[in-house]
Amino acid sequence: MSRTVFIKDTGTAGKDRTRDFYGFFLGVIREKGLENEVIPVRVADIGLYNQGVAVRVVPDNFVYTRVEESDVSLIVDSIKTGEPYSAKQVKPVSKQLRIVLRNCGVVDPESLEDYIAHDGFAALAKVLESYTPEKVIQEMKASGLRGRGGAGFPTGMKWEFTRKPRSDQKYIVCNGDEGDPGAYMDRGVLEGDPYSVIEGMIIGGYAIGASKGLFYIRAEYPVAIERIEKAIRRCHETGLLGNNILGSSFSFDLEIRLGAGAFVCGEETALIASIEGKRGYPSPRPPFPSVKGLWGRPTCINNVETLANVPVILHKGADWFSKIGTETSKGTKVFAVTGKVKNSGLVEVPMGTTVEDIVYGICGGAMRGKQVKAIQTGGPSGGVIPKEYFGTKVDYESLQKMGSIMGSGGMIVMDEDDCMVDIAKFYLGFCVDESCGKCAPCRIGGTQMLKLLTKVTDGQGTQKDLARLEQISHAMQKASLCGLGQTAPNPVLSTLHYYRAEYDAHVNEKKCPACKCAKLIRFVIVQNKCVKCGMCFKACPVNAISGSRESGYLIDQTKCIRCGQCFEVCKPKAISRS
Amino acid sequence: MAKLTREDLAKIKQDATAAEKNWIKVGYSSCGIAAGAQEIFDVLCEEARKHNADIEIRKCGCVGMCSAEPIVEVCVRGMPRVHYGKVDRETAVKIIEDHVCGRLLVNDHVMDGRI
Repeated sequence: MSRTVFIKDTGTAGKDRTRDFYGFFLGVIREKGLENEVIPVRVADIGLYNQGVAVRVVPDNFVYTRVEESDVSLIVDSIKTGEPYSAKQVKPVSKQLRIVLRNCGVVDPESLEDYIAHDGFAALAKVLESYTPEKVIQEMKASGLRGRGGAGFPTGMKWEFTRKPRSDQKYIVCNGDEGDPGAYMDRGVLEGDPYSVIEGMIIGGYAIGASKGLFYIRAEYPVAIERIEKAIRRCHETGLLGNNILGSSFSFDLEIRLGAGAFVCGEETALIASIEGKRGYPSPRPPFPSVKGLWGRPTCINNVETLANVPVILHKGADWFSKIGTETSKGTKVFAVTGKVKNSGLVEVPMGTTVEDIVYGICGGAMRGKQVKAIQTGGPSGGVIPKEYFGTKVDYESLQKMGSIMGSGGMIVMDEDDCMVDIAKFYLGFCVDESCGKCAPCRIGGTQMLKLLTKVTDGQGTQKDLARLEQISHAMQKASLCGLGQTAPNPVLSTLHYYRAEYDAHVNEKKCPACKCAKLIRFVIVQNKCVKCGMCFKACPVNAISGSRESGYLIDQTKCIRCGQCFEVCKPKAISRS
Repeated sequence: MAKLTREDLAKIKQDATAAEKNWIKVGYSSCGIAAGAQEIFDVLCEEARKHNADIEIRKCGCVGMCSAEPIVEVCVRGMPRVHYGKVDRETAVKIIEDHVCGRLLVNDHVMDGRI
């Protein structure tokens, strides 16, 4: 049987030697006459970073790192014998564990048969045949699954609370109003594996005694909506929705409601108001939706990712699930890793994985040789985790201890060019935009804080302003009506805590250390370095650069908008930023 | 279609595992579509027809490597199952010609060890 050798230079410095090593392997293989047994392939990614030239032999799955030219012949020899070449061998580790994303990228999202072929609806069949609703809730409680929308409330308990009250009608709602900047885990699941969410909802409906379920999906997700619609139609046709599902006495129906894309509608009371056709205002709790929710009936609201976990838990058992993760946070979590990171995308890891493993191990660290500075988890409700604390484990408690939150799973990576005051301003600005305006602390507090932050980034801030920022933050946290206002100051507080020096530099020295805040920086052409190529002249979007290839160029500071495009395009680095 | 029973579920599963053949899957979620999955899907179908290749071309969701879309996964019996990332027209043609028909992996696009 032939072996394939994947080759990739994972080093950062200097030139990419993948092609050279591909050549070395080809040469050695030819020399030894093994053309038919060993086939080298240059790959685009090998799942390892900064470990020199890496080689993986399949199907044996022997992985070698820091391979040098002299190793090539020995590796080829080892392939012939079938034994690993131990000098450079490393243990291949898979850091990801796919439970929620088990079918994403595997099944055809528009094919019911494909989903069934991958154990789809097996859990539902088992539940309807041999589990009482109480037993389902018991299993969910035993599994330790906590809500993946952000707050982390135990799902089994939520179901139990909704099951208890007597009512002629109950509802289960799938919260697909994913609005955090940079987060799209739910979209990934809804688009990639719609049937698993539907199955989770049917099981949830059975457990709480609801005969009706609603999908609340934001209108900005047209592909997700189309696939869920199609899936619901197929389920109706095949009797997986409707009366007497799979020959049991249980009947259940599903509908879709579209959200118009208001961030606050992800909050459950505002979501309920929105479904009822009212303005998306949150209302005080209690009463909780599990007692008095949609149209005054007991309602259980679960996040997309939570529901996608349900079929697996019931199929494989609570014992299996509760062995994954940490003491208090069971299972896995999907993160949407975006920002200044090499490989952005969806990553699913067991709870308790360190931030470092996610950012460097899976996503390959920062782009273009820059240094990662921090990450932001939990979107505008979360906080930053500086690089020094990347040993932090991702679980509900550890992240909270760091002043951040798990949130729904957005993870934005920032590098050395990002100014932390600017980041705080961005997130706060988002919350100010999305504030519904019902309660004063959020409406007024947010706006005032944004004004203060703008003052700081404009170089007009004082230490008094920083103190006031903290003061308003605490007031908002305590007095706001819903989660949006209560958590909106988090990015400010967390950046103030970890990056006080950056705030101080803005205030005391009127400087932006990351050279990001437009009012505090200026670009100047260093004439003795300038090669008069004219690239900056071409790049400037506001014609603030004048001159010619003969006389050289000058930046007109009154016209310059400090966008930094000239700085980016200047090859000899003749433009100084200060 | 008639209402499904528990037995039907088991049967569908069994049939699917028995009928498993060579396939190509194209990531067809928002990230893939935005990166041009539609075109790649069409090219793959067209090339497969041209070469009379015995391969089933399907759509699937996002596998998680969004920055490498369009992603194409190829499973040909007796060869390593691989994901190709950043697939353009040219690579799509090579996937059918070299990988499916010629049984040789295409260089420079394999995304290995990420999942």
